[in-house]
Amino acid sequence: MTKEFNVLITGVGGQGVILMSELLGEAAVKDKLKVRGSEILGMAVRGGSVTSAIRLGEDVYGPLIPTGKCSALVGMEPSEALRNITCLSKSSLDILNTAATVPFTVTLGQSSYPSLETIMEKLKKAAEKIIQLDAAKLALAAGSLLTTNVVMLGALFGTERLPIKVATIKEAIEERFPAKVAPVNLKAFDLGYETCQRALK
Amino acid sequence: MKELTITSDTPGERLFVLGNEAIARGAIEAGVQVAAAYPGTPSSEILETLSGVAKELDIYVEWSTNEKVAFEVALAASICGVRAMASMKHVGVNVAHDALMTANYIGAKGGLVLLSADDPWAWSSQNEQDNRYIALQAYMPVLEPSSVQEAKDMMADAFKLSEQFRQLFMLRSVTRIGHARSDIVLGEISREKRQGKFVKNRDWLVYTPREARINKPLMLERFDAIKKAANTLPYNQLKLARGAKLGIIGCGLSYSYSMEALKWLGIEDKVSILKIGTPHPLPEELVIELLKSVKEVLVTEEVDPFVELQVKAIAGEHNIAVKIHGKDLLPRVGELSTRKVTEAVIELTGAKPPVDFARLDKLAEETTPLLPWRPPALCAGCSHRASFYAIKTASKRVARDYGQDVEAIYPGDIGCYCLAVNPPLEGVDTTICMGGSFGIANGLAHVVNAPIVAHLGDSTFFHAGIPPLINAVYNKANITMVILDNSATAMTGFQPHPGTGQTAMGNEAIQLKPEDIARACGVKFVEVVDPFDLKAAAKTIEAAIRFEGPAVVVSRRLCAMIDQREKRKRKEPIIPYYIDQDKCSGKCNACIELLGCPAIIKENGKTIIDQALCTGCGICAQVCPYKAIIEVSQ
Repeated sequence: MTKEFNVLITGVGGQGVILMSELLGEAAVKDKLKVRGSEILGMAVRGGSVTSAIRLGEDVYGPLIPTGKCSALVGMEPSEALRNITCLSKSSLDILNTAATVPFTVTLGQSSYPSLETIMEKLKKAAEKIIQLDAAKLALAAGSLLTTNVVMLGALFGTERLPIKVATIKEAIEERFPAKVAPVNLKAFDLGYETCQRALK
Repeated sequence: MKELTITSDTPGERLFVLGNEAIARGAIEAGVQVAAAYPGTPSSEILETLSGVAKELDIYVEWSTNEKVAFEVALAASICGVRAMASMKHVGVNVAHDALMTANYIGAKGGLVLLSADDPWAWSSQNEQDNRYIALQAYMPVLEPSSVQEAKDMMADAFKLSEQFRQLFMLRSVTRIGHARSDIVLGEISREKRQGKFVKNRDWLVYTPREARINKPLMLERFDAIKKAANTLPYNQLKLARGAKLGIIGCGLSYSYSMEALKWLGIEDKVSILKIGTPHPLPEELVIELLKSVKEVLVTEEVDPFVELQVKAIAGEHNIAVKIHGKDLLPRVGELSTRKVTEAVIELTGAKPPVDFARLDKLAEETTPLLPWRPPALCAGCSHRASFYAIKTASKRVARDYGQDVEAIYPGDIGCYCLAVNPPLEGVDTTICMGGSFGIANGLAHVVNAPIVAHLGDSTFFHAGIPPLINAVYNKANITMVILDNSATAMTGFQPHPGTGQTAMGNEAIQLKPEDIARACGVKFVEVVDPFDLKAAAKTIEAAIRFEGPAVVVSRRLCAMIDQREKRKRKEPIIPYYIDQDKCSGKCNACIELLGCPAIIKENGKTIIDQALCTGCGICAQVCPYKAIIEVSQ
């Protein structure tokens, strides 16, 4: 029985963060797990930061992941992963998409964007291990840039730490997408999964 | 197997839902027949869920013009014996307040529930008011859920309780309930359908001073009965730990944070805990029992010390020697969290921190300065960007005539366009409440000597913009009122409104035009512009500002998100713009500094347009001094 497993997905509006947590939640229910989660919507969809938590297990009460208790962070965007660093636990195995989405404040010269090296250096201090991947490239290889989030979901499952079965999340993906695009998404999932597995070896 | 949905009558099955969907499900299970609302984060998905299944369930659902009307619609149904609800964000209850303060004298016949979606930390609001205080003022009992499941269960029960005690009930949700996700266990759906019947009854329904004096004592009697019943409602639970020195009173979601904190600290069986599901009225007997059994009590609740003050009063009244903590250890501002409660408990018990908070805080301190500022921004192709450019261009021209250092004043309102407060547009000087832009402009007109150019959106105009517009005509306020008409309630998720020609149930409606209303209200300068024609729009707005007396400009362009969606549906191409690098100086940055469009970015010193984001609105091409921005040819 799973006691507590916390997934935090971070990114920016439009990256499909909410869809990922919906898929995780639906799959978890199929696997008879208790699910709690929370997200910030509203103004966030207008290009702002988005975070979504999915918490699995019997010991979970609240919708938010307590400080230092994240089991796996899925960073859709490097700086947004860094923004949530205090959530990470020393035993977390995290996935990071290396493609940056630079906000317009950087274009306007009002703020600056840290280098990927700096971001990795900080994140490494807080986590057990971080797996980097270029999710967009894998999504294109699968057949559509729109599957970037599903690539990341695949990578998350590639850690083999989730209490949800791979077959179940694939079932959720198949149910969620129209028959025409489901195969592309399943392929994207597999590419993410395999990339993560290779990185772990 | 048939797929489970929000209307599946399959008790015991589990469904993964958003909190607001769970609340809608609770109402469905109770057999709600009338639901009315005005959109507002974090409440909108409740009525959206109901509107999506209204025809299937044969219930009446409407987006009302504002929260007061929504509440009155529900109240009327209740008076006629039909189960009804009104849902709104916390500040929406302020709009309904007038009706509420007499509706409580009426009470309820058909179950009547007011859903207040509070927003601790003001994630998407102008304040973080605690609406339990409104309930206190109105003698309105409050149910406050600790989880999404409980939100569903409470919603279903609220209608029954409302009928049992003949009083209207409030369900207080918060952002982390309404926008939380969870699996829920479904209950049975009531199939009862009632025919509304209006029974004339002056003593009950006509509020002259006489009826107020008749009904207030009756309301107090009803409230006392609820107060007694609170001690045995399943939502309030007392669990005494043997020999416990500390007790926690956890209200609503804070109960969940408290339980998690105790588990984290490994002291869940050493602390007594009182779970509060009815902060108003409190289960007094349970509170007394807890207070008498411990030395210290910690009250956990979001936002203000509502339960805490009542508990302190109870302790005082019953001479119980117990130290009561709450907002001395926990913040009055923002949301609570497992960590915040954990730290408060550590302070009181000396328990060992479960993780090294100091190390994590140090990490945060190191990383925060590295992070880019990522405020939400108007979308690429948003018509508001063009409108603000035109408003500011026009205002600056007129302001010069007022004096050297005079700047135009831009009273703003509630909607996506409040994002124009950020650079580079900086076109918002006040944002207070729905319709507040026109109201503030009315007042400014009589005390300052500067062009006053107020703006609000179409949905906001119908909600609260018309009375201050009439006021400007009546009291001769020399102001310009720009209606940013993108034919959408965009910020909350594109709900229909009186200007869209559609109702919540998908029926056709008469499409109201703000310009017709302005003319009918006696405004003598009323023009409609297309903001994507920057020059013409600025020229008309300039004429409006120069006009002596109140003037209205409707700046009309469909919301870019809807426009893109519809174009995709029609398989119409979206033709973006690009920057001809031979013509672009790369240094002038006018497009970036004037418009702040997220599609215009810098890459290796070059200014380029992100083809995936550009919607082809073309306003950047109009401001480029080098004519370097060109439409991509097909």
